[in-house]
Amino acid sequence: MTSGLRFPTPGIDERTDMHASPSPSTACWNCGGAPGPGHFCAACGKIQPPGDGGYFAFFALPEKLGVDREDLERRYLALSWKLHPDNFVRAGEYERNCSLELSSALNDAYRALCDPVSRAEYLLERHGVRKEGQTKQQAPPELLEEVFELNEWLDELRSAREAGSRGAETSELRERLEGARQAFEEKLAAVDAELGAGFAEWDAATDGGAGDAARGRAMARLNEVLNRRSYIRNLVASVTRELENDA
Amino acid sequence: MSKAVGIDLGTTFSLIAWMNPASGKPECIPGPYGTTLCPSVVSLDVDGRVVAGEAARRRLLTQPARTIYSAKRLMGRGVEDVEDELKIFPFRIDPESRNVIRVRLGDRAFTPPEVSGYILREVKGWAEEYFHEPVTRAVITVPAYFNDAQRQATKDAGRLAGLEVLRLVNEPTAAALAYGLDRAQRGRVAVYDFGGGTFDISILKLIAAGEGDIYQVLSTCGDTHLGGDDIDNRLLDLAREEILRDWGLDLAPHSQVLQELRKAMIAAKHELSDAEETTVRFLLPEGMAYVRRLTREEFEALIGPIVERTLAPARQALRDAKLKPEEIDEVVMVGGSTRIPLVRRRVEELFRRPPHVELDPDEVVALGAAVQAHILTTGVENALLLDVTPLSLGIETMGGVVAKLIPCNSTIPASAEELFTTGVDNQTGIDLHVLQGERELARDCRSLARFRLPVEPGLAGLARIEVRFTIDANGILQVRAKDLRTGEERSIDVQPSYGLAEPEIERMLIESIDFAEQDFAVRQLIEARNESESILRAAEKSLADPQSAELDSGERARIDAAIAALRLASEGEDYRQVRARIEDLNRETMHLAELLMNRAIASALEGKRVADI
Repeated sequence: MTSGLRFPTPGIDERTDMHASPSPSTACWNCGGAPGPGHFCAACGKIQPPGDGGYFAFFALPEKLGVDREDLERRYLALSWKLHPDNFVRAGEYERNCSLELSSALNDAYRALCDPVSRAEYLLERHGVRKEGQTKQQAPPELLEEVFELNEWLDELRSAREAGSRGAETSELRERLEGARQAFEEKLAAVDAELGAGFAEWDAATDGGAGDAARGRAMARLNEVLNRRSYIRNLVASVTRELENDA
Repeated sequence: MSKAVGIDLGTTFSLIAWMNPASGKPECIPGPYGTTLCPSVVSLDVDGRVVAGEAARRRLLTQPARTIYSAKRLMGRGVEDVEDELKIFPFRIDPESRNVIRVRLGDRAFTPPEVSGYILREVKGWAEEYFHEPVTRAVITVPAYFNDAQRQATKDAGRLAGLEVLRLVNEPTAAALAYGLDRAQRGRVAVYDFGGGTFDISILKLIAAGEGDIYQVLSTCGDTHLGGDDIDNRLLDLAREEILRDWGLDLAPHSQVLQELRKAMIAAKHELSDAEETTVRFLLPEGMAYVRRLTREEFEALIGPIVERTLAPARQALRDAKLKPEEIDEVVMVGGSTRIPLVRRRVEELFRRPPHVELDPDEVVALGAAVQAHILTTGVENALLLDVTPLSLGIETMGGVVAKLIPCNSTIPASAEELFTTGVDNQTGIDLHVLQGERELARDCRSLARFRLPVEPGLAGLARIEVRFTIDANGILQVRAKDLRTGEERSIDVQPSYGLAEPEIERMLIESIDFAEQDFAVRQLIEARNESESILRAAEKSLADPQSAELDSGERARIDAAIAALRLASEGEDYRQVRARIEDLNRETMHLAELLMNRAIASALEGKRVADI
């Protein structure tokens, strides 16, 4: 039993995200020279401890949501070659530790940035707009009616199943649910399109050097779309699960 | 620097391999019996000596209470984990075992890492014999599904055998590495590993990057109780049933006969890999003979259900990798059971392409481990392995629920951070419980470690301890904590739930390393003495030859001195001295050897005309 509480992850202002970027602000631990880009000292070539620039900076990418997957993979593989502990088997303990931390941060960063949704969630978490693993599980107002109806059908299906009826009795209900699932999947596609627009808005704001207000608006919009998306996705998943259970 | 080797520490057999610079290819090293397969069996002699490998396997029947096989199944596991194994395997668990199992061999108890250590030391000895120099560094392979405790136990075994474990590599990754270093294009590889006792399937992605090839594991799945042994059992059952039916003879009490019958059935299995039919001829007690013609068709019908059971995990691994069977570009076969034509056919049907069978399926994992050892020690960077962690890592939270920190199939190294605080005023520590597994509740997952984070007493919720969990490139957990209020870093003494604590390992190490060095020196000494004996005999014989009269007195005196010096050295304990004196004597007798040789040639030529030569 754990007597300690898991502390809710605080916003970025409290968080020391020290495991995520190149270019540490301090001088090279080995030669005292200025740290170079790309996780190695420009002067002596030694591996450096992780900095705090975040996942995008880790890949030397601008903090933009439109990411070319193939380009990201190329960067990931190139960095894997350089940072992996296999390259440091014969190095000193400090360098081996740097390699372990950097390559685990690399894998974490790649996992987070690969998928567009987790990429956007990471961005918002880093800017304190969103808390890790937290989404508002409220029905968006415009969907309230449909969700209410859907939940009723799901209840009906469950009680029909418990009562032992199948086949013809539930087939009409199943058809209705199937239709609803399709409708929600279409909505999901629409939300994904909105998310794409949100990405573009953020990227334009970043490119144009927009002020905090514009960036804040873009992030708030992204957050709202992400919450809605997560809600609809859970809905589709639960309908699918119920239909499979019934099959 | 000594040579680095690759070792496949298997459930039924272990192998050792190295990268031969002459051929540029990895090669398995044969042992004294000529085979590269070392039975993973350990036995305790009546005089207290431990033997491993073939010598131990031969004692399975005569000294079953002092002999253990399949010890890999016990690695990194607790007593309650192995209840199922105990139904199948006759392990004699020491009643005093707690979080580390101890197995009784005769009057002594051994931990699984010690048993595996003896097997590792045996194959290490093969390599030392082969190279004529000590071997100290190795890459050891582990099943991809091995959890933290099992990996740690394997690393401990390596240390106990006097080996620096350069890296633990997943078996399927090693197999892929042994294959196709140069044909590596962008491709997806399925590694189908059907061994003696376990089945494993892994999906890898091969990427030809500018710097070399990257092997990335996408997913892995398997069944730890499915293997060639099941096939052997099925055949044995068939024979037993027929013998009971035809003669009313129940073989259950005749363990020796059963063992012999099993061997006969295994031989039939092997033959049916090439032949369309075979005949088992087996002499039963009381002079009866069991003669049974077995066609491949009947054999395949018998074992069909066993082979089918490998296909579900294979499909699961594909699903986890988000791939369809036809998206697999290469299939690599590992394990002796993949020699069975039916297995090859089923695999071909599933993946819709013929599997690779060019390399010996028993050797392929060890060969890959040798390649990785070569890469790690020479810095020849032509391949990089990106393995994944097979199980999710999490911590127990309120109500016994597991909070996942690192999901399964994450590329390693991987890490996660969590912030912890106190729940009540003046709490002096926070207890953490780290688990591995996919289930929701802590009690259904695998306990890895428990430890306590010390906290300065204060108001509840004031403490801010950041804990960083890192799974290293071997798949082993490391934990570090940082007090965010003071900035103080702490290393954490993680007490493994299942595994040897550091002091225990230290003690075993001191014992074993002494032994390991002694072992090597003793073996070298015996060999050097043998060699010394034969060279002394040869020298004396030569000196008795009339031809030796042609030596001048100085030469003769130097030879006599060298003989005396070698005799003296051979009575001593230092094999290096013996070797050096052998060299001396060889050098001093060079002229004598020439004289004898000339005489031999002259006499051979006598009476022959020049034209006949």
